[in-house]
Amino acid sequence: MSAQPLVLGIETSCDETAIGIVRGRTLLANVIASSVDEHARFGGVVPEIASRAHLEAMLPMLDQALLQAKVSLKDLDAVSVTAGPGLVGALLVGVASASGLALGLGKPLYGVNHLAAHVSVDLLTHANAIEPTIALLVSGGHSSLLQVDDITSSVVKLGESMDDAAGEAFDKIARVMGLGFPGGPAIDRESNNGNSTAIDFPRGLTQSQDWRERPFDFSFSGLKTAVARYLEATPDYVRADVAASFQEAIVDVLLQKALLACKKSGIDSLVIAGGVAANSRLRHVAQERCDGAKIRLRIPAPALCTDNGAMVAALGSLMAAAGRPASTIGIDADSSLSVTCVSVA
Amino acid sequence: MSICLAIDTSTSRTSVGLVEDGALLWHGFQDGATAHGSALPQLVSQGLAQQSKVDQVVVGMGPGPYTGLRVGIAFAISFGRARGIPVTGICSLDAIAALIHEDDFVVATDARRKEIYWARYINGVRTEGPSVDLPKFVAAIGVSAFGEGSFKYQLTTNEEFLFPDMASLVELSKNSDNKINEAMYLRRPDAVPTSERTQ
Repeated sequence: MSAQPLVLGIETSCDETAIGIVRGRTLLANVIASSVDEHARFGGVVPEIASRAHLEAMLPMLDQALLQAKVSLKDLDAVSVTAGPGLVGALLVGVASASGLALGLGKPLYGVNHLAAHVSVDLLTHANAIEPTIALLVSGGHSSLLQVDDITSSVVKLGESMDDAAGEAFDKIARVMGLGFPGGPAIDRESNNGNSTAIDFPRGLTQSQDWRERPFDFSFSGLKTAVARYLEATPDYVRADVAASFQEAIVDVLLQKALLACKKSGIDSLVIAGGVAANSRLRHVAQERCDGAKIRLRIPAPALCTDNGAMVAALGSLMAAAGRPASTIGIDADSSLSVTCVSVA
Repeated sequence: MSICLAIDTSTSRTSVGLVEDGALLWHGFQDGATAHGSALPQLVSQGLAQQSKVDQVVVGMGPGPYTGLRVGIAFAISFGRARGIPVTGICSLDAIAALIHEDDFVVATDARRKEIYWARYINGVRTEGPSVDLPKFVAAIGVSAFGEGSFKYQLTTNEEFLFPDMASLVELSKNSDNKINEAMYLRRPDAVPTSERTQ
């Protein structure tokens, strides 16, 4: 295998049909078809709608990615695909397509972990090595703190959300406030005009006992309830202030725990990844606090934070370059694949 | 000499065949309503070990339970693109009906939720369907019934012709009138818009 493997990555774990192509650490193509508009009237992603859209979008995205990268399928060294976690019906479209490509081409297939891929995409924007690093992974489906010693083989979970993911909380609060779906960008925009200290919303799992027993776990359901109660009790609430205060509560607790993880592990590097990493307030406060704590912070460009194929290709390329074994023929999608499982055998 | 890879995942059986000029060179299958994802690549790999050169892909487009059906179609179109060979979609029920030599009959497969996907054939031509209905609706037609769904819901005791036939799938692809470009789900996704939900 080349030191700069040419890898095509397919991502279909939720509502984005995304294909990326990388050569080593160089991004050649990153195309996305989203069915997000079809889900808006349901207030959340409908798995069957997403799965149907994946099938329809697969070949157009494939052709577009190859055109953008100016490569042909037979040039590929390997194919990579998100094997989990995610919506099983949605994942299966990607896994079946990737299997068809790999078998058709006679090339190895890497079934990789969606969460590890989110972290590995950092490589495409930052040249310096990422390992070891602490990673804060925050998206619509996940909120996890990870210690990454080697992204192709060793990811340790330090903590995760006990209930809602951070992005899920954004979606739910945006819905309650009538800000639409997806909620993250809507609350981010609304917060620009609000006062983030107007309302003191609770920070989940930050009591002294929590810091002793589960320092790296998150909980956002109490915050969600607190915001809902506040809205009920305050008919003339200022929407921008509520949005900004809610967002601040999430950003604050995410970063408190991420920085503690750096401190306790002695690792002075933090990667923030996942869709919520596109949040402008999170990016801003993270930079401030990491500068203060002398921690090297890396956050991928916003377009690479949300679900994309480039990250899947990036992890596949790293696996191939590191000589990791390819997945066996007939891998299945695993909707609850643990983050510690970087790739499926 | 043209060698065709035939794939169907519209029923609880994942079927793969290699067909050359109407003759079945190789056939493999695996049963299991949730096994399509892992079974299909393994079966195709086994087939390619026998015969690696393939000139065309034919795939059953359903009707069938959504997730398994999509596995077959997604695999087929991607394999076709990888090899640069044509991919043709065919109604899976037709590939069961092709084996049956009766004047008037129905073919039904399991649509889950106590319903069946079905079509009626008179003198070798599909005259009704594919549709999705309760078994009693199809039973009321009063003609011979075949297929996995007919057997499951006791429209027949015949255990032959339960699943699409690979050689027939390929034979059907030779007539361009039989070609189907989209997955046949026959039902809309189950989802209720926020505005229509009862509080």
